[in-house]
Amino acid sequence: MTTTPPIVSLRDVHKYYGTYHALRGIDLDIGAGEFFSLLGPSGCGKTTLLRTIAGFEDLSSGTLLLSGQDMAGVPANRRPTNMVFQSYAIFPHLSVAENVAFGLRRRSDLNRQAKAALVEDALDMVGLDGFGARAAHALSGGQRQRVALARALILKPKVLLLDEPLSALDKKLREQMQNELRRLQRHVGITFVLVTHDQEEALIMSDRIAVMFEGEIAQLADPQTLYRRPTSRQVADFIGVMNFLPASLTAGSTAASVEIAGLGRAAITPEQCPAGMPTGDCTIGIRPETMSILFDGEPAPARETSGQVHELAYYGDMTYYDIALDGVEKPVTLSMKNLVGRRVLERGETARISWDERALIAFAK
Amino acid sequence: MKLKGFGTSDTARGLTLIAPPALFALLLLAVPLVAIFAFSFWSQDFLTIDYTPTLKNYREALSEPLYGQLILRSVLIAGAVTLTTVVLAFPIAYFVSFHVPANRKSLWIFMITIPFWTSYLIRVFLWKVILGYNGVLNSTLIGVGIIDEPLTFILYNANAVVITLAHAFAPFAILPIFVSLEKIDRSLLEASRDLGENHVMTFLRVTLPLAVPGVVAATLIVFIPTIGDYVTPRLVGGPGGLMIANMIQTQFLKLNNAPMGATLAVIAMAIVTVIALVFIFLNRRWLKARS
Repeated sequence: MTTTPPIVSLRDVHKYYGTYHALRGIDLDIGAGEFFSLLGPSGCGKTTLLRTIAGFEDLSSGTLLLSGQDMAGVPANRRPTNMVFQSYAIFPHLSVAENVAFGLRRRSDLNRQAKAALVEDALDMVGLDGFGARAAHALSGGQRQRVALARALILKPKVLLLDEPLSALDKKLREQMQNELRRLQRHVGITFVLVTHDQEEALIMSDRIAVMFEGEIAQLADPQTLYRRPTSRQVADFIGVMNFLPASLTAGSTAASVEIAGLGRAAITPEQCPAGMPTGDCTIGIRPETMSILFDGEPAPARETSGQVHELAYYGDMTYYDIALDGVEKPVTLSMKNLVGRRVLERGETARISWDERALIAFAK
Repeated sequence: MKLKGFGTSDTARGLTLIAPPALFALLLLAVPLVAIFAFSFWSQDFLTIDYTPTLKNYREALSEPLYGQLILRSVLIAGAVTLTTVVLAFPIAYFVSFHVPANRKSLWIFMITIPFWTSYLIRVFLWKVILGYNGVLNSTLIGVGIIDEPLTFILYNANAVVITLAHAFAPFAILPIFVSLEKIDRSLLEASRDLGENHVMTFLRVTLPLAVPGVVAATLIVFIPTIGDYVTPRLVGGPGGLMIANMIQTQFLKLNNAPMGATLAVIAMAIVTVIALVFIFLNRRWLKARS
């Protein structure tokens, strides 16, 4: 958590569309200079939340403060925020430079040359130097996005809002832009609030992530905590891949003992129960990369079990196996790096599986 | 190699397909146009037509002040009609596009076209009833005591022609403007607001420039047919509201001088073409100068 006062502060924010309850009591503080992500499936309210901050949607109740000032009744054009739209919203009748300079019209303190220099700098910053005279409609998707970024950043907003800015780009370009956005954010030091449904993107780019489901924040944490210590099955399932196994838990004084279907008995500490220690029947989660296949009599570093290869997906660098464990209905997924000399198992083969009880996470049933 | 007979190659098949409409267009558009051109270079010799090519008609048309006056009046009336129609149509199109809920838009557009359900002629007659000396407008205004005597400047003159035509052509202006407004990505308006512009400046900097193609289309669609209209000036224009089309009709039917009528028609066509081209050219220049 940041110690400086928050730039964006939401208190018990609700939003109704007619009878539809889109935002259900959002409490959120976003610190200065943070790269913050709102992550969730479509329809979870993340875009609504972003648009509320921008001023395109009114709050039904609750308060929104931007750098300490109440934004109630302040229209979008008077807020210290700027937005990169999902469609980029590049003005088709203007050139690249005119698009970038759009928001500078009201800056009467700058003369023509000063404005032109600012535009030049902004284009330079997003790697579009020399594109100023181009017509906006003659740009590729990636270039349009850079224009949208330059157009927003030139106004030096307190908060830059990004509405799924990378979803329209192809995979290679998306990965490149993820790095560039991160670099740009560090460079300008402005608070970025990113809306995305792509959990990988959120993990790569963010300082902190708020995972949203059905108008509520399910968990707010940094990427590592979110991935390693999800507080609910829903979050665990949404972030990366998580195997869920039925189990039964008996609490002890410092650690609990769980009997897990397909894996056997294991000890579990309170830190492995982010949502509090369940009792009795529960669900145990385990990530694919924390399990591995043991080849040719290799000894297990920790615990060992076995199962049949049910299905496999070869990704080149990795192979994902679906392994049917004894006594478990749904096969578990595990991933193996395709190291030199390591063979890829075939369907139906029996595999020895190594796992570690430190990787387990317990959820209520 | 196969023999490329008729109906086997794509080109031939395409030509076969478009032949009927092409023939139709040729007979109904090209032939009359060529005939008008031809007539304008012939001359009337009492009851017969002298087929010797001559520029006599053009010389007469350009030297006779009445014709020039009628053409000028036609251009002015059509210009006034176009200005009125487009200026009034824009707010309507804007309202339907931006403030009517999406599921009601087709209903609104449908209602805007309702005047078309009655014949053009009947609509013109109705305006006569409304604008007449003892008409609806005058009786109402006298009734509420706003005026003491009936207004006379609203019927049988150019004003009446402008009012009637502006009403008749309103849907032609509303529809293209509506279409161009509908095509504007609404996130552009949000982007403008986000970048610090209020509603008025957003309209001036984003909505209006993007609606220009619709306004240009509306202007041409209204201007071109109104300049050649002859029913409305004939019925509500009185002597001071007559236009060039009325003279063309008089030449053809009353004065039995088809060549002179054809000549006036060609001149009117040429003027419309020149004005339309200049308008489009200025527009391109304006758009280019902005980007």
